[in-house]
Amino acid sequence: MSRRARVVGLALTTAGVAVVLFSHWMMAFWVPTEAAQGVVQRIFYVHVAAAWSCFLAIGIAALASAAYLWLEDERADSAAVSAAEGAIVFGAIMLVSGPLWGRIAWGTYWTWEPRLTLTLLLWFIYVGYFLVRGSVSDLRRGRRFAAVVAVVGALFIPLIHVSVLHFRSLHPGPVVLKSEGPTLHPDMLATLLVSFLGFAMLFLGLFTFRYAVERLRWRMAAAAPSPGGGDGGFG
Amino acid sequence: MRALARWVWLVAANDLRLEARSRGRLVSMAAFAVLAGLLFGFALDRSALAGRDVAAALLWLIVLFASVGGAGRTFDPDEEDGAFRHLLLTPIPRHGLFLGKMGAHLALVWIVTALSFVSVTAFLGVRGVGSPLAHAAVLLPGTIGIAAVGTLLGRISRHSTLGDTLLPVLAFPLLVPAILFGATASARVFLERPWPEISGAVRVLWAFALVAVAAGAALFRHLTDE
Repeated sequence: MSRRARVVGLALTTAGVAVVLFSHWMMAFWVPTEAAQGVVQRIFYVHVAAAWSCFLAIGIAALASAAYLWLEDERADSAAVSAAEGAIVFGAIMLVSGPLWGRIAWGTYWTWEPRLTLTLLLWFIYVGYFLVRGSVSDLRRGRRFAAVVAVVGALFIPLIHVSVLHFRSLHPGPVVLKSEGPTLHPDMLATLLVSFLGFAMLFLGLFTFRYAVERLRWRMAAAAPSPGGGDGGFG
Repeated sequence: MRALARWVWLVAANDLRLEARSRGRLVSMAAFAVLAGLLFGFALDRSALAGRDVAAALLWLIVLFASVGGAGRTFDPDEEDGAFRHLLLTPIPRHGLFLGKMGAHLALVWIVTALSFVSVTAFLGVRGVGSPLAHAAVLLPGTIGIAAVGTLLGRISRHSTLGDTLLPVLAFPLLVPAILFGATASARVFLERPWPEISGAVRVLWAFALVAVAAGAALFRHLTDE
């Protein structure tokens, strides 16, 4: 792993952890309690920040996958697999924190409403990404097939948005990304943005480390003799 | 454009000709559709549930399972005798190849959808199925999307060591929007609700179909590296 990757990864991860801890202090002691839902609403700052980070990771994975399909540059594939792992991790945080919030706010852990359902499916699509990557015996072909899955998966994000517009649901509507501007209390908005900043920095730090490890594996594979005649890459 | 349409027609007609000779895929998909309707008819307690209330959901599930099962074998006839490699050497553009393969699969999906509709309404004893035209307007975009996704992913699963088990894992999450909006719209058609209550879901189904076909046509060349 290069010194630059170590320094950048360590700086981002450390700063990310510090900002996440600070955002938790804000959630516990600083932000006002929401009138309707009470204390449980504070899960919102973790849930939404994890969701945005997950979508950031999916965006990077999809763009890097598209770049890999277009340019056939293995660095793009390394970036795609690193971001896809981030999407799985932050997606899992979102999918665990959402039902915990929903159990108290709505009285149920899960409701089959479109946005929840499609977000869960998006997560499964990225599980499929790793299944394809690992189950195609020709490594180069497996990476290309997985890139196709990542690109197709990302194309579903607009459908998630459309589903929110077409169905009434228990899930709260957008409170930040609205055409007329955020309707969230300024202190709540500040807490959410700090939490997102922490999660995003943490993701980018882990992404940097994972990318550097993937590049190292590539270089080791390229240096090693390849008796099978394969391209020597890793799945 | 005319040349592309000709290529698409040639590929689709060839696949349908092969299918007409062997009938393996169509017979298994059709048998599944009829038997699934029969089994659902036995399994549902109709003293507690009215057939019309669940017909839409069962119809879409049968179409989904039959289509995905058939999609896994879309490339089998070509692969078994190495014909696909020769097909790639022809001047047919990759997106034309995809559209032709998808078109042939779609024709089978439509036959199975019609059979599923008859099977579900007959075995569940549904009286008053709503407007056939409205059913067709809902099922048309949904089946196009299902056939496009199935054809694209069928190509991937063909090369996976997980084989047929991988295809549902990849396809079901991608196809759930079609099932969600399709079953909702079909349920409203069964209940004879006015068209404005259905048209929103149909618009989403068309968007899904267009995205699926466009993505399949654009990405298929990355799945053909023989």
